[in-house]
Amino acid sequence: MLKRWRQVFHKRYQQWIFRRLPPVKKINLDNRKLFIFPTHSGFVFFGLLLLLWLIATNFENNVVFAFTFLLTSLFIVGVFHTFLNVSGLSIEGGKAAPGFAGQAVEFEYLLSQSGKRRRCNIEFSCPGVEPAFVTLTGSEIKAIYLSIPVKQRGWFQAQRITVKSVYPLGLLKVWTYLQFEMTALVYPRVIDAPLPSQFAAKQGDKTPPQRYIPQNSGSEDFLGLEKYRLGESRHHIAWKQYAREQGLQTKHYADAIDDEFWLDWQALKGMDTEARLSRLCAWALHFSEGPQPYGLRLPGFELPPDTGRAHRDAVLRELALFERGRESGGQA
Amino acid sequence: MRPLWQIPRDCLFWLLVSVVISIGLHLEHLPPWIVLSGIVATLWQIQLYRERWRQPGRFIKWSLVGACAAGLVLHYGRISGLEPMVALLFAGYVLKLLEIHHKRDALVLLYLSYLIIILQSLFSSSIVSSLLVFCALLPVTAALVAMHADVESRRPASALRTALTMTLQAIPLMLVMFVVMPRMGSLWAVPQHSSGTTGVSDSMSPGDMTQLGRNGDVAFRVEFDGPIPEQRELYWRGLVFSGFDGRRWQQEGPWGYNDGQFLQWPDKPLEAWDKVVMRHGEPLTYRITLEATNSPWLFALSTPVSQSPTVALSRDFRLVNREPVTSKLQYSVNSWLDNQLEPDLLPGWRARLELAIPSGFNPKTIAVAQQWRQETPETEALINRLLALYHREFTYTLRPPALGKHTVDEFLWDTKKGFCEFYASSFVFFMRAAGVPARVVVGYQGGERHPTENYLLVHQYDAHAWAEVWIEGRGWLRVDPTAAVAPERIEMSFADLFNEQDDFLAASPFSLERLRHIDWLNRLRLKLDSLDYAWAKWVLGYDNRQNDFLMNLLGAVNPQRIALFIVLAGGIALLPVFIMLYLSREKNTWDQLDRLFLQFCSRLEKIGLPRKPGEGPRDYAQRIRLQAPSLAEQVDSLTRRYERARYAEQQEAEFKQFKAALSKFKPGRKDRLTRP
Repeated sequence: MLKRWRQVFHKRYQQWIFRRLPPVKKINLDNRKLFIFPTHSGFVFFGLLLLLWLIATNFENNVVFAFTFLLTSLFIVGVFHTFLNVSGLSIEGGKAAPGFAGQAVEFEYLLSQSGKRRRCNIEFSCPGVEPAFVTLTGSEIKAIYLSIPVKQRGWFQAQRITVKSVYPLGLLKVWTYLQFEMTALVYPRVIDAPLPSQFAAKQGDKTPPQRYIPQNSGSEDFLGLEKYRLGESRHHIAWKQYAREQGLQTKHYADAIDDEFWLDWQALKGMDTEARLSRLCAWALHFSEGPQPYGLRLPGFELPPDTGRAHRDAVLRELALFERGRESGGQA
Repeated sequence: MRPLWQIPRDCLFWLLVSVVISIGLHLEHLPPWIVLSGIVATLWQIQLYRERWRQPGRFIKWSLVGACAAGLVLHYGRISGLEPMVALLFAGYVLKLLEIHHKRDALVLLYLSYLIIILQSLFSSSIVSSLLVFCALLPVTAALVAMHADVESRRPASALRTALTMTLQAIPLMLVMFVVMPRMGSLWAVPQHSSGTTGVSDSMSPGDMTQLGRNGDVAFRVEFDGPIPEQRELYWRGLVFSGFDGRRWQQEGPWGYNDGQFLQWPDKPLEAWDKVVMRHGEPLTYRITLEATNSPWLFALSTPVSQSPTVALSRDFRLVNREPVTSKLQYSVNSWLDNQLEPDLLPGWRARLELAIPSGFNPKTIAVAQQWRQETPETEALINRLLALYHREFTYTLRPPALGKHTVDEFLWDTKKGFCEFYASSFVFFMRAAGVPARVVVGYQGGERHPTENYLLVHQYDAHAWAEVWIEGRGWLRVDPTAAVAPERIEMSFADLFNEQDDFLAASPFSLERLRHIDWLNRLRLKLDSLDYAWAKWVLGYDNRQNDFLMNLLGAVNPQRIALFIVLAGGIALLPVFIMLYLSREKNTWDQLDRLFLQFCSRLEKIGLPRKPGEGPRDYAQRIRLQAPSLAEQVDSLTRRYERARYAEQQEAEFKQFKAALSKFKPGRKDRLTRP
């Protein structure tokens, strides 16, 4: 019974929040959009104040009264400090980086303000995600990123995030919920599969790689390091070299073959749609690492072979949106 | 075991500072081993943080808890009482320092720090110790800030600055709350802080008063509604001693009296004995702020009536508090200096009480007294004869010789040197031996007039003993044998009299009183005292005057007015905070710069040279140069400054220069070239 009530309450509360704070592109946090309430430690602090008041009353000690009132006033002054730490902040939805189902997409939020106030430790959080803390000083623009785990391919709309601050005393929290009109593209889940035989044959005398998820490319012949170029897989970044402050470099491998390949829906007979897409996705990632052009064949759609980042993105996009709404507003 | 949560270093810094400060504040009334364990725990926590030492194991921790509990029981032998409670709290606080695993552990420590630091005010609520407590609260707040701030703002200095700002901002609101929040009065009995305090005790042996004569502490302060009466009128009665055992004088009441209740409370109907006092004329009204004495008796001029609900009038016409005075107490008194106490016949049981002398003591005095009584049957003449003897042959000194068994005999006929208690004791004994009812009264005599504030300072060295003699038809008369020996003692202040003697203030080696002959130090001492008195009057004793004060302030004291006042005054108290915070948000030199530049443009517009839409500052200046050559130089320099303020490195400085230059820029129509 209680659980049901709680559910009903929760639902009503969510609806109320949604009406009060509908999705936006940019928001200026003012007093109508912020909530403030004591934290748990704030309530414990009330307990302390009560105890002090009892001591002052019973011992009839006016100095203890004075200090009790001082701490009470400190709490009340804290309301202003806590509130104004967040009030006046502008938050804008930034870029939404695509990701793979089963992994995470990254949303960017841009913080700015009109004044020069120092805003300490503002927490951005989303259910199930490690919160990000940010401090804004002066009239700079600061970006923070939240990685949200995603399960299904297609368009993924940014969830409601919580912006919260307990600075300076931790006795009060001021918070608001924000929903931005941002959508990230979620590519299919990457599933390991052996390359179809025709690819394996074409790869000639080289040992065919057994696993194709990009993380494991290291089993192939290592060619050397090159300067990192935008768009290259992060999984190939030579972190050791980076740690030695030799700059951002990527590892390159000798699995390059000059022929062109087709990632063919028909090559994966006997599987359901998602399983096929997942494997095609893994292959696309595999080939995008190499120099050889590759194309995509889906039922009723063909993307001619090509190379490069733009092509890879186009392929992945087709895979992500196969039989899904093309509109970015569609819910994943 | 590694800590599950790592406390930020800067937070730990202020936390440890708070712990050390708490230890320091309570040093006086904590057992030394708790202080020691506090220091050890602090060091341990530092080493723990540096990963040099390990977290104490469960066994060690529980042994420490056991050891502390055992130590407390052994040290105090009880658990009730203020000191054991604070010590217990302190032990827990110190041990908690060894296990900061979570954020909440650190928070508990900080809240305990607040509590323990403020508890110091129960032991001492003087102005200095309250200031210390106020300062000690800052590191705790700083630690709280450091725990919730980012890396930059949690640096020790930065966190302390935030804490200080917030605390200062909180003060106005605190004052409002202090003034209006109603005080409920004690809800249940609590153990009071007990400590050895000096003052008049409930018995008097030779040498007791002499001890007090060396003490420069303030006993009480008195504020009169009118002018302060003459020094020789100021006999502050504290206790009446009717019982004598040959050496020690002590109270006989309430056992010796049997006509009604011994204490007359102001809210009770008048006791039967109230009619034995005659009060003539207008009363003298004054307020006394008594320092803690740990005894219930109060001091007042004869004969007093107090309206304070906790103060009763006793059968021997003294004032008595309901409880021992453990902290500063304020009470107001009406005294009728012109009075007669028991002028009619003294009942037999009363006469017996006031005539009793112990057998086997002072035979010579008894013999002489009876002989004198026969020679001078008139009581007044007898008194004068004895006083004349004192005046002729006796010396008033702070260093009286020791007395043996027959104290009165030895003093009267042998040593002839003594302090007030010697005179009072021998006088009363002599009178009783001569058949005149007499008793000893102790209290204080005189006081120091504060030169600038209208109040009287009574010190411990003003403690005095004198006699009261009963004469039929006139009642109890005050006789001060000391006045016969050393009239100066009564006429001028005690301190002036004894200033030259070494023993004066021997018990207060650091008292500023010792330096009263140095003029500016004496003024400083009196200034500090008036501060202390104001503190006692307005802070410590505020509950006594809250009602009057609020009545003046609000017109009437009722919940609606109090609530309204809190809202209004609280709002006013918080307004500066809000404005300050709000301004700091708007403080943006860029916006201000734009505003100033627009001012610059509008001044030019007034003389008919408006800036065209989309015209840059430089182009605008160029055009002005052509259209108003006399302004060219000024406009050029202003434009240069504006550009620098906008784009240069030191924008703040340039901004100020631009602002200063702009204030001097006053173009007029005559500057404009009249050209078609």
